[in-house]
Amino acid sequence: MTDHQALAADLVVDGLSVAVDGKEILRGVDLTVPAGEVHALMGPNGSGKSTLAYTLSGHPKYAVTGGTATFGGDDLLALPADARARLGLFLCFQYPTAIPGVTTVNFMRAALRAQGKEMPAREFIRRLNEEMAALRIDESFRARYINDGFSGGEKKRAEILQMAMLRPRLSILDETDSGLDVDALRTVANGVTRLAGPDMSVLVITHYPRILEYLKPDRVHILNQGRVILSGGPELATQIEREGYEPIIGPVAAEAGASRTSLTGVVAEAQA
Amino acid sequence: MITGSPPATPAAPAFALAVEERIATAHGWLRDRRQAAWDAFSTMPMPSSQRDEDWRRTDIAKLQLSGFQPSDGIDEPLVNAIRQRRDQGAADAALLLDAAPVTRIEQSDELTAAGVVLSSLDEAARLHPELVERALSAVGVAESPFVALWNAMWSGGAFIYVPRSVHAAVPVWVAHSAAGHRGAAFPATVVLLEDNSSLTLVDDYLSAAGLNEMFSDALTIVVAGRDARLDHCVLQQWGEGVWHVALHRTVLAQNARLRMFGATLGSRLQKAYWEVMLDGPGAEANISGVVFGDGAQHLDHQSLQAHRAPQTTSRLKLKVAVRDHARSVYSGLIDVERIAQQTDAYVQNRNLLLSHGATADSVPRLEIRANDVRCGHGATAGHIDDDHRFYLMARGVTAEDADRLIVHGFLDDALADCPHPGVAALIGELLEKELEGNAQAGIAVVDA
Repeated sequence: MTDHQALAADLVVDGLSVAVDGKEILRGVDLTVPAGEVHALMGPNGSGKSTLAYTLSGHPKYAVTGGTATFGGDDLLALPADARARLGLFLCFQYPTAIPGVTTVNFMRAALRAQGKEMPAREFIRRLNEEMAALRIDESFRARYINDGFSGGEKKRAEILQMAMLRPRLSILDETDSGLDVDALRTVANGVTRLAGPDMSVLVITHYPRILEYLKPDRVHILNQGRVILSGGPELATQIEREGYEPIIGPVAAEAGASRTSLTGVVAEAQA
Repeated sequence: MITGSPPATPAAPAFALAVEERIATAHGWLRDRRQAAWDAFSTMPMPSSQRDEDWRRTDIAKLQLSGFQPSDGIDEPLVNAIRQRRDQGAADAALLLDAAPVTRIEQSDELTAAGVVLSSLDEAARLHPELVERALSAVGVAESPFVALWNAMWSGGAFIYVPRSVHAAVPVWVAHSAAGHRGAAFPATVVLLEDNSSLTLVDDYLSAAGLNEMFSDALTIVVAGRDARLDHCVLQQWGEGVWHVALHRTVLAQNARLRMFGATLGSRLQKAYWEVMLDGPGAEANISGVVFGDGAQHLDHQSLQAHRAPQTTSRLKLKVAVRDHARSVYSGLIDVERIAQQTDAYVQNRNLLLSHGATADSVPRLEIRANDVRCGHGATAGHIDDDHRFYLMARGVTAEDADRLIVHGFLDDALADCPHPGVAALIGELLEKELEGNAQAGIAVVDA
């Protein structure tokens, strides 16, 4: 990319615990995504993946009860959501919200301005058109209200469009692959790989290994019952595709309801 | 000015002296009409929030009419501010400045050359009594105390007549204004559109910004003939000390079409009736509006979509944002008569509450006596959605800017219905200032 911008930075999550409506969901997450790397976070339903994404992005509903999270050395948890985004964090929403009356064009201009990345109108439109073409988004979307009446696939592509326009330093993709057909998945994944690299790290949250075939993660982490219980290379994703989570997290835990003591046993076993 | 002079007698109704003079100087039918209106008003109790359904949520017990005197016109700086506003919204528009006792008319040559009549209502009542009488007959002399008082009291006023098959090439901007401590205004817009004619009309109510207490009792009557077209914008930007009671009524003959857009920003308290009478088959009305209330404003809109002929269509959409301790009241009726088969009507009112102290009441109603119709209504009220705010903030936009974008988007959806682009841009700018926290009650007046 020709634009001069800050390089990616390290994301360091240490012992992060989070409660939602008084219920503890994350119970001491440890996770490091070094600058410029692509990491995958996998895990069964209810393991806390989306909670981690929302917490790192600063959704006020998620109450941090312990631990730390830093990005490039900055304490994320001390900042409101908008300040985190201005540091270069980007959350690709699993369920993007429709906001009637706010057009994509107006929103992107406001966001770029807020992030100090304002550009002349002509350049803005040129770049928007280029990115839309690359993501196969119809021109009419420029003037449409954000996510209003978009199909599931259109919403996901619109998220990647925002990412491409804003050029974040770290993107967290929250199940961006869910609900996409094979062609849309490839388009979206290409949109991410184009940007990933020294300028942008990626934390991709997913159930399914297929998107990882495109994104080629450097590391794969398994989240279960609110903790990262196992980390490994890309082969871990292949293993999960073949065997499921059960061999890693155990039959009891996989069916949910496992106590923490039994889980600790399983983790020890898995790491052995 | 009569400031400081005591009321005629403690028992006499408000404005008794002024009405006496108006009746004395009127002739024929107008004199009879004023007298009948005054007689009715003298015996009618003021609306009460206990007794009158229309006024149940809007309490005007504090409005003491006896404390007001007819406004004595406006000064040149305010006239200039009004001209500038017209220039901003529709620079080509003819200007009819209704600031009783004088009505000024400017930039009207193009329209008058085409046969359009633009005059004060006073003059029209003398020169074209049959036209004025025809238009005024769309409203009963004493439908309510405020209508009765208006009929007895109006002076100056604006009259527009568009002959058959004439399409007014430029808009008519009718500015209603008043000044003076405890000044009372009786704004009047009376419009007759003959068959197959068309007009773009702006009704603009405004005074200088400030706390000055005034009273505005307004009436707009439009009678539209077959296939006539009216684009009607109503801006209400009275100062924050003004009581504003208004009736806007449009009567549509066969295949006539109304597009109306209202923006309510000003006054301390408003009660405005937006009414359309779909009298001819195929008549169509699209009514939209935006309302922004703040401080302690109380803004009441009551709409009527009266379907009185078959195959008539009406849409009404009112979007309201209220902040601080402002209160919005909306009530609306779709009334379908038995002969009005194949009516297609919808009414919706959406309210956005920007502070915990702000409130919005919404009461849309349907009364349907025909059996082959499509009618519906919708009403919502709520605060800014946390998820909407978070979504925008997750892209770096501050909480304040996120809220502004959301409210803007909420109102823009209705503003897009404004039939005149220049007026839409003007209203958009005023709403922008409201969103920045600057209440737009009254306009800034610079002394030249």
